[in-house]
Amino acid sequence: MDQKEEPPVKIKGVGDSLWVSVTPSLPVDQLKQELIKPFERLQHLAINARIILDMGRDDAEIDRLIETLGIFLKEKFQVGHVSKPNAPRHSENKNRIRQQDVGNAWHHYRNDGLVIAGRVRSGQKIQAKKHLIILGDLNPGAEVTAGGDIIIMGCLQGKAAAGQPDNEGAIIVALEFKPTQIQIGGFVAAGMSESAGSRPEFACVEGNAIIVDDYTRGNPFRRLAWPEVR
Amino acid sequence: MDGKVIVVTSGKGGVGKTTITASIGAALALQGKRVVVVDMDIGLRNLDVVMGLENRIVFNIVDIIKNRCKIKQAAIKDRRIDNLFLIPASQSDDKDAIKPENMVWLANKLRKEFDITLLDCPAGIEQGFRNSVVAADEALVVCTPEVSSVRDADRIIGLLYAQSISPKLIVNRIVPKMVENGDMLSHEDVVDVLSIDLIGLIEMDDRVVVSANTGMPLVLQEDSKAGKAMQRIAMRLDGHPDLPIENPMIQKGFWKKLGSKFSRKN
Repeated sequence: MDQKEEPPVKIKGVGDSLWVSVTPSLPVDQLKQELIKPFERLQHLAINARIILDMGRDDAEIDRLIETLGIFLKEKFQVGHVSKPNAPRHSENKNRIRQQDVGNAWHHYRNDGLVIAGRVRSGQKIQAKKHLIILGDLNPGAEVTAGGDIIIMGCLQGKAAAGQPDNEGAIIVALEFKPTQIQIGGFVAAGMSESAGSRPEFACVEGNAIIVDDYTRGNPFRRLAWPEVR
Repeated sequence: MDGKVIVVTSGKGGVGKTTITASIGAALALQGKRVVVVDMDIGLRNLDVVMGLENRIVFNIVDIIKNRCKIKQAAIKDRRIDNLFLIPASQSDDKDAIKPENMVWLANKLRKEFDITLLDCPAGIEQGFRNSVVAADEALVVCTPEVSSVRDADRIIGLLYAQSISPKLIVNRIVPKMVENGDMLSHEDVVDVLSIDLIGLIEMDDRVVVSANTGMPLVLQEDSKAGKAMQRIAMRLDGHPDLPIENPMIQKGFWKKLGSKFSRKN
């Protein structure tokens, strides 16, 4: 199979910024031409946008190039702020990272969980891009799917699929755990007839299988050294 | 004042919708209301047989909708109970013979002429269900203490809420002995899952079969437990919403009853 040549300019949205990957080996004029194409397609979205120019390395020459391209983009497309990527974390002192994580983990956090109150009835289907929290029960015949974890503050009796399509680190927690079927990533498990009664339980993937454990005893996050955003 | 239209539905078939429609209709008529029961199960009509009126059918609901007759011509008066009427379904058409807008029109006409209109909804959630629900003011969901019935009722309740109708629940065919032995879901288990207001509990009763086969209304049979339960449901529907719901229980001996009373206090 032929390997396609990487385009010299790529854009993706990261947080509140546009992350522009640029191949710095090309001449400045050609880079400008390459930048025009995707930015014209962005139209008004480019105005006042925060731009991060990622050249793949970091030195004085790159700084000058970023400055040149930054002025060019500001004039041509009225972008807001142009900068280079923050220095990667692994170059910092480990202790400082921990401090930062503890201090900042949830400060710059945007809610990507879906919180639903009420009873999910048979035939109803709920899909969440990331985590799903249901303050209520999930009846038999109901289905919920989430990209991340599923937390049910009530009785889980329906079908729950967490970590779809491929996040095997996701978990499913319910105060009463009596599912018809659960899925985590690509793993599927049929509901069990026996239940711990009204004790909260959770399911996770361990060693290529889904296991269910008492949540109060086997809480998987107890081992974490410091709190982190999931 | 306009009358109200109540749909009796369940999702699952064979849980007792038709029997309950006929019995509650009869009970309401005996309480002095002008009642019409409408068989919405077009193509598979049953309500006429349960009420013992199958040999009097001339016109049916499709004839009314298609303007081939008047409501008065199609509404059959019950043999025993004054004020009770039946609009039968057509046996030769199918559910698509009626459209939801036709039902809205018919329901408005029936509200003018009758105090209470009971619609006997067919099983399923297709056209027949949609036709029945679109015109209803209130809904009774019938459920037996079986997992399959509970699941279908749950789906129906979701669909009724989507139509802005808050349904009330009837748990039918309770066998107190099996509940006590843990072999059958109790009505508490059912209500736990469905979480809607309960309006009646009906015990399993052999007389229901006899009544359906002979066309003798259940509520006219003095010693039928199911008939009594239906009468109480009819009273709750009409003017006595706070009538307490009796929990079907095994008749225990005097000493056992006394013992349980004392042990509760401890």
